[in-house]
Amino acid sequence: MSRITQENLIAVLLLALFAGVIVLTLEFGPRARLIPLPLAVFGIVLTLVQLAWQNLRSTDDLQMDLIRVEEPVAAVDAGKPRDPHKTTFARELAATGLVVLLLGLVYVVGLVPAVFLFTAGYLVLSHQYRLVKGLVYAAAFTVVMHLLFIMALQVTPYHGLLQPFVDSLG
Amino acid sequence: MIEAIAHGLAALLTPHALLFMTLGVLYGLVIGILPGLGGVVAMALLLPFTYGFPTEATLALLLGAHIATIWGDSVTSILFSVPGSAKGLALCFDGYPMTQQGQAKRALAASATGALMGGIIGAVFLALCIPLIRPVILALGPSEYLMMALWGLTVIATFSEGSLMKGLIASLLGVLVAFIGTDVVTATPRFTFGFEFLMDGISFPVAMIGLFAVSEMMKLAIRGTPIVDRSVVPETSTVWQGVRDAVSHWWLVMRSSLLGLWIGVLPGVGASVAGLAAYAQAAQTSRTPERFGKGAVEGVIAPDATMGANEGGGLMPTLAFGIPGGESMALLLVAFVSLGVVPGPDMLTKNLPLVFSMVWIIVLANIMVTLIGLGITPWLARLPALQANLMVPTVLSVCVVGAYAVRGRIEDVVVAVVFGVLGYLMDKYRYSRANFVIGMVLAVMIERNLHISLTLYGNDFLIDRPIALAMLVFVVVTGALPFVRNRRRRKTLKAAAA
Repeated sequence: MSRITQENLIAVLLLALFAGVIVLTLEFGPRARLIPLPLAVFGIVLTLVQLAWQNLRSTDDLQMDLIRVEEPVAAVDAGKPRDPHKTTFARELAATGLVVLLLGLVYVVGLVPAVFLFTAGYLVLSHQYRLVKGLVYAAAFTVVMHLLFIMALQVTPYHGLLQPFVDSLG
Repeated sequence: MIEAIAHGLAALLTPHALLFMTLGVLYGLVIGILPGLGGVVAMALLLPFTYGFPTEATLALLLGAHIATIWGDSVTSILFSVPGSAKGLALCFDGYPMTQQGQAKRALAASATGALMGGIIGAVFLALCIPLIRPVILALGPSEYLMMALWGLTVIATFSEGSLMKGLIASLLGVLVAFIGTDVVTATPRFTFGFEFLMDGISFPVAMIGLFAVSEMMKLAIRGTPIVDRSVVPETSTVWQGVRDAVSHWWLVMRSSLLGLWIGVLPGVGASVAGLAAYAQAAQTSRTPERFGKGAVEGVIAPDATMGANEGGGLMPTLAFGIPGGESMALLLVAFVSLGVVPGPDMLTKNLPLVFSMVWIIVLANIMVTLIGLGITPWLARLPALQANLMVPTVLSVCVVGAYAVRGRIEDVVVAVVFGVLGYLMDKYRYSRANFVIGMVLAVMIERNLHISLTLYGNDFLIDRPIALAMLVFVVVTGALPFVRNRRRRKTLKAAAA
C-alpha cells in the first residue's frame, strides 16, 4: 500500500471517528455536549482539509516513515531484494502481536507470572541469552518487580485465570 | 521574620529530620522513575508511616519524597521517552532527542540543576510572597483559570511542524479522549459504551504509558537496535556541561521558575500544565524555536525549573487557605490533620517557623536530589545503550505492571496497550503525540472553568472579568508569535536566496 493510500485511510478513519462522536453527542444534554460537539465538527473540517491537502501535494512532500527498516542482509545476498514496505509491515504486526501477547498472558496467568514468562520467552527466543541465563535473568527481574510493586507499594496483584487456584491456597 | 526563618531551619537540623528527608528523597527517586507513579503515589504510601513523629521530620519525609519524584520523572522521560508521570511529559520533547544524539549526561545534569535552581527560586519567592499572595489568589476566578488553560494550548503550534492540520487533529483527539467518562458538570456518562470502568474516564498516567512507553518499545522491537547505538552515536557530553547549561540559561530558569510558582499558586492547575506551559514559553521566547523538539537543552531546563518552583507555589494556597494547589498538596493537608496543624491565616502569623521549615525542606531536598542525581547520571546515561532485546521485555513488563498499579484495574492494562498501538500509529503518520496529550491535559480544565464562568458571570463573562480579558489578549499574542516569526524567517530566507 502506498504512503498516500495509508494517509488517506487514516484520514477516512478519523472522519468516521469524528462523525461517530457527533452522533453520540446528540444524545447528551445541551451542557454535556457544549464542547465535544463543536470540537467534533471542527475535527471533521480539519480532517477534510488535511485530506484535500495531502492529495493535492506531491507524494514527496509527505513525510516518509519514521522507522526505516534496513534491508535484511540475507535477502540482498540471495539476490532477491524484498519490498521494504512488506518487511516493515511484518515487523509492525509482530511488534503489535508482542504487546497483545503480553496482555493475553496477564489476563490468563496474572500479572507477576506474565512478567516472568514474557521476559524469559523474549530473552530466549530472541537469542539475547541462552535458556538458563534467560530464565535466571527473568526470575531475578520478576522478583524485583514483585518486591517493588506487590511488597513495597502494596499493589493488590491480579491473578487472572489462576484466581480460583490462589483463592484455594488462601 | 528573620527569627522565623532561623527557627524553621534549626528545626530541620536534627538527626531525625535529616534522616527522614534522606529516606524520603531516595524513596521518591525510585517512585518517580517507575512509570505511572509520581509524587501523589509517593506521598499517599508514606502517610500511614507518619503518625507519632515530630512535625518537621514528618514533613521532611513527605515533601522530600514528593520533590524527589520530580527529577525521577524526568530521568525516564529523558532516557527512554517514558514519562514517570504527567509532570515528566514535557521532558520527552527535547530530553529524548538529546539522549539519541549522545547527550544523555548533559540532559540529565541540566534537568537536575534546572530543578534545583527552580526549587530554590520558588522557595525564596514563596518566602517573600507569603504576605502578598492572599489578595492575588482571591482576585482570580474560573475565567482566569480558563485563560491559563487556553494559554497552554498555544504550545500546539510548536509541535505541529510539518502539518499544523495534523497537530490540531491530534489535540482534538486528545480533548475528546479526555471527555470519556462521567461529565463532572452534568454527571452525564459520555462515550462510555456501557463499560463501567470508563465511567471514571481514561487514566492520564495510563494513557501516557501507552502513548509514549509502549509505542517506543514497539518501535524498538521493530528496529531491533538499542535506543542509542554507541558504536554510531557515542556519548559525547559531560555532567558538567549540563550544569553549565542550566547556570548559563539563568534568565530562562528565572522566568520558568516564576511561571511554575504562579501556576503552583493557582489551586487545581497542576504541575503537568506547568511543565507544558514552561516548554511553550521557552519555545516561544527562543530566538531559535526551530531547535525545539530536536534536542534543545532549553527544552529540558525550562520544564524542570518550572516544576521545581511549582512545589513552593503549591504550598501557598495550601498553607494560607487550606485549599490544596494540587493532589499532592491535598495529601499534605491530610498529613496536617494527623499532625494537628490547622492551615489558614494563622499559619502565616503564629506558625510562621513551621512555614519556613517547609520552605527550607524544599531547598534542602532539592539540593539533596541534585547531588544524588549528578552523582548517578554517568551510570543512568548508559541505560539507553542496552540491547533492544533486553530493553523491550523489561520496559514493557514495567509498563504493564505500572499501568495496573495506577488504579489497581486490569482494564487499565488494556487501555495502555490500545494507547500503545495508537501512539505508534500517530508517530508513524506524524500526528503529534505531544499535542494529543496536551489536549487531554487541558480539556477537563477548559470545560470545567468554562461551565463555571458561564454559570457565574453569564455569556459575557469576559467583559465582567477584565483580568481574564487581558489574559485572553496575552494568549492570542503569544499564540500568534510563532507564526509571525516563521513568516519573517521565511521572508528573510527568500530574500537571502534571491
